Amino acid sequence: MRPPASDVLRGTLDLLILRTLALEPMHGWGIAQRIQQTSRGVLDVNQGSLYPALQRLELRGAIDAEWRTSDHNRRARYYRLTAAGRRALGAETENWRRYVSAVNWILEGA
Amino acid sequence: MSAVLRALRIRLRALLRPQVARRELDEEMRLHLELETEANRRRGMDPAEARRQAAVTFGGLDMAKEAHRDALGIRWIEDTITDARFALRTVAKNPVLSGAAMLTIALGIGANTAIFSVVNAVILRPLPFPHADQLVMLSEDNPEKGWRRQTAAPANYLDWKERVHAFADVAAYEPGGGATMTGEGEPQRISLRGVTGNYFTVLGVRPALGRVFTSQETWQSGAPVAVISDRMWRDVFGAAATTVGKSVAINGTRTAIVGVLPASFSYAADTVDVWRPVAWDPQNRGQVFFRRAHWLRVIARLQAGVTPRAADAEFQTVVRQLQTEYTETNRFMGADLVPLHEFLIGDVRTPLLLLQVAVGLLLLIACANVGNILLVQAVGREREASLRLTLGAGRGRLVRQALTESLVLSALGGIAGVTLGWWGTRLFAALQPNGMLPVANVPLDVRVLVAMVVLTTATGLLFGIAPALWSARRLPAEVLREGERGTSRRVRRWGDMLVVGELAFALMLTVGAGLLLQSVRRLEQVDPGVDARGVLAVGISLPSGYDSTPQQISFFDALRENVRALPGVTDAGLALVPPFGGVGYTSDFHIAGRPANEYGTEIAHDYVTPGYFSTLRIPLLAGRLLTPADRAGAVPVVVINQALARKYFPGEDPVGQRITFDKVPDSTSVWRTIVGVVGDVRQQGLAVEPLIEAYEAFAQNGNSYMTLLVRTGGSGDVRALVPAIRNVVARLDPTLALAQVQSLEHMERRSIASQRFIMLLLVVFAAAGFVLAMVGVYAVMAQLGRRRTREMGIRIALGARMGELQWLVVRHGLRLVVAGLTIGAAGALAATRAIRALLYQVSPGDPPTFLAVLVLLALTALAASWLPAARASRADPAMALRAE
Repeated sequence: MRPPASDVLRGTLDLLILRTLALEPMHGWGIAQRIQQTSRGVLDVNQGSLYPALQRLELRGAIDAEWRTSDHNRRARYYRLTAAGRRALGAETENWRRYVSAVNWILEGA
Repeated sequence: MSAVLRALRIRLRALLRPQVARRELDEEMRLHLELETEANRRRGMDPAEARRQAAVTFGGLDMAKEAHRDALGIRWIEDTITDARFALRTVAKNPVLSGAAMLTIALGIGANTAIFSVVNAVILRPLPFPHADQLVMLSEDNPEKGWRRQTAAPANYLDWKERVHAFADVAAYEPGGGATMTGEGEPQRISLRGVTGNYFTVLGVRPALGRVFTSQETWQSGAPVAVISDRMWRDVFGAAATTVGKSVAINGTRTAIVGVLPASFSYAADTVDVWRPVAWDPQNRGQVFFRRAHWLRVIARLQAGVTPRAADAEFQTVVRQLQTEYTETNRFMGADLVPLHEFLIGDVRTPLLLLQVAVGLLLLIACANVGNILLVQAVGREREASLRLTLGAGRGRLVRQALTESLVLSALGGIAGVTLGWWGTRLFAALQPNGMLPVANVPLDVRVLVAMVVLTTATGLLFGIAPALWSARRLPAEVLREGERGTSRRVRRWGDMLVVGELAFALMLTVGAGLLLQSVRRLEQVDPGVDARGVLAVGISLPSGYDSTPQQISFFDALRENVRALPGVTDAGLALVPPFGGVGYTSDFHIAGRPANEYGTEIAHDYVTPGYFSTLRIPLLAGRLLTPADRAGAVPVVVINQALARKYFPGEDPVGQRITFDKVPDSTSVWRTIVGVVGDVRQQGLAVEPLIEAYEAFAQNGNSYMTLLVRTGGSGDVRALVPAIRNVVARLDPTLALAQVQSLEHMERRSIASQRFIMLLLVVFAAAGFVLAMVGVYAVMAQLGRRRTREMGIRIALGARMGELQWLVVRHGLRLVVAGLTIGAAGALAATRAIRALLYQVSPGDPPTFLAVLVLLALTALAASWLPAARASRADPAMALRAE
């Protein structure tokens, strides 16, 4: 058994997806996998929220999707960051950092 | 590609090609599962466990798909489509019930489409002239003579035109008018209208060919000219481009055609063929008759930006100036300014609005009925609804689904209804008594369609809301536990409300129809004062060449003698204006020997020949009738009607007294001796009280247009005489055409044709509403009876008598009937006051009508509730108990 993982906090999933896709275009499973690995197994992406989130980002214009053949000769839907997505990533990363330090101040100051 | 467009493209794709989108999503998720499974196997699990674990990690596949679709934001559209499909299936599954509902809605929407199209065409659409809101009608009012919105005197018209600066221009026309046209094919009777030179420019009408008149042509100038209608251009001149420049003889006067109007021209739906300038003699302007005689309808165009109210203020100042400047003629002469549109629709506005209200009520009844049908369905599906609630369906979703169903029903009914209504509009326009609607056509325009779409939607929501709320409101547990029994009380409350409402609306409709029916019946019973059966009326107009009075008299004398000699003719006479043809003209009068301030006003005039009274069987009450001896040169004589004798000679004998038709007699006044008194005649139609009237001898006056009245001996069609009369006329003068030819009976009927038409329509709507309401009552009571079948069974098993059981149901019905009829009667009492103007000798609260309608409705409604009660009480106890 793997150590128990936390569900990704609501609202941060979009940010994680954008960050993950900033490296290279990926398909859905790859994104989930990458988030889990990069978080050293701490964060587990619930597939029930992954695909709606991808849909949302696509509608927002932050990502693009196209069908491609994967390394193992499988047809997969690959998601890619758009210019707008890159801008959104910058802004949301900034937001997140401010939020985290604010929470930290409160936790430590208390 | 902008983000908005991209999002739109994605959504559209999902909506328009749902299979593709779904397949792709499936594929994507399947891949995810496969990859996860492989990863698990790499971690050392066996294939089955790897797959299982992958599925567990993934979570509910369908839920993931649902969430994905929700994120797309098109969920509600998809739901609506699903709901609509489901609704269509439900509709198709219950063809009888759905058919009945749709038919009911189609009836309601159809009636509304037809009437609203007419209301739209007549009341809502602007007149077909540029800036029609600047056009106003100027008329004269004279309280002393009881005039309201009467025609104006030419001299007054000219002064208004010159003095009121709020008017950009003012035109006038002579209403009515006909002539004989020769020189193009057979001699034919045409409808002719005299207009001032600026008439068409004030209306803003451009000719299709040639020109319209110029302002100078108001006055005599050069050769006579005329403008013709598009219809005449096509029918008589074969639409030839060379028509302009041709000349025809109108009443014997050579007249050049200078222009053709466009086909689109229509002024209050009148059917004028030829317009010609009034061509007044400039010398008339200074003459008293030019201010004393009133025969013009006057149309002003306001200066841009001037409101009718502001224009009226200035106009009234000028009218008051004229009152002091021309005391003799204008002392009591007021004037009135109304928007032209309002003036033209004056008479039909109230009846049309009445019909609109009637079809509105009809639609409400229809809604109540359909609402009831759907409620029954919803109750039947209650277990289904509860089950779905239990399984987690949203209540909002259930309400929406029910509403979609009623909207689908109303849309289907609405489409059928608008089609039906369009056909009804045609029928209305075709059946309307001539000239009732002051418009040339009744189009089904955008406004009508939009109104009907809105109405159909409102209808669907209205009848759908009760069942929709019903299906979602109940707690599942309650339904599953109580079964059908628990629902009965609540359903009954809805059903009761529907019944009460339907009865109230049906009562209002029926009372309205009843009042109009009473009015028309009273009108039909009115004694017209003449015996119109078997009498033919033929108008004949003499052309120029018969200008002198002796010529006219000798022609019409010869005509009368020759027609009397025809086989089948028992009597004949002539009149300036026949009965039901209106009033020739009116004047003031003075009776010899009375004080100077004791004069009379508004006496109607007619010129008649010997034989007129006997032909029409107008009774002689005193003195003698006119004879051939009453000719030019003999003592001027007059026969008066009973109304005049009663009003001005109470308790004395009018015969032998003298009368003159001047307010202030002077040396030029002609004194006429009253030689006889005859019965009153409804000269202006059955609905209008007779005026005081004087019949002068035609042979002492003369005129070029007369109506010949011929009594036939037989009982056949009086029009069979027309060829023989035509021969007589042709023998006397081959250039003459018969003008109007109609039976006097037809004229009598036509005088109340519009009242009868409105009444018939209202009766049809009321009958439809009545039947629908009774069907509704029956349906609700039948349901009630069915629901109580079990109770009945138990009671019968316990020894209750059948009569008692029937009473149980009927008593409930009775309570509803009383409530519905009370509310309806109160509503009707309040509403019928608005139609007072349409009633003839019937008060809006006419007790017999109310009573009759109440009894009729109460009895029918009770019968409708007794029938199901009887059926329920006959239930076999064993069967009834097993029904659970």
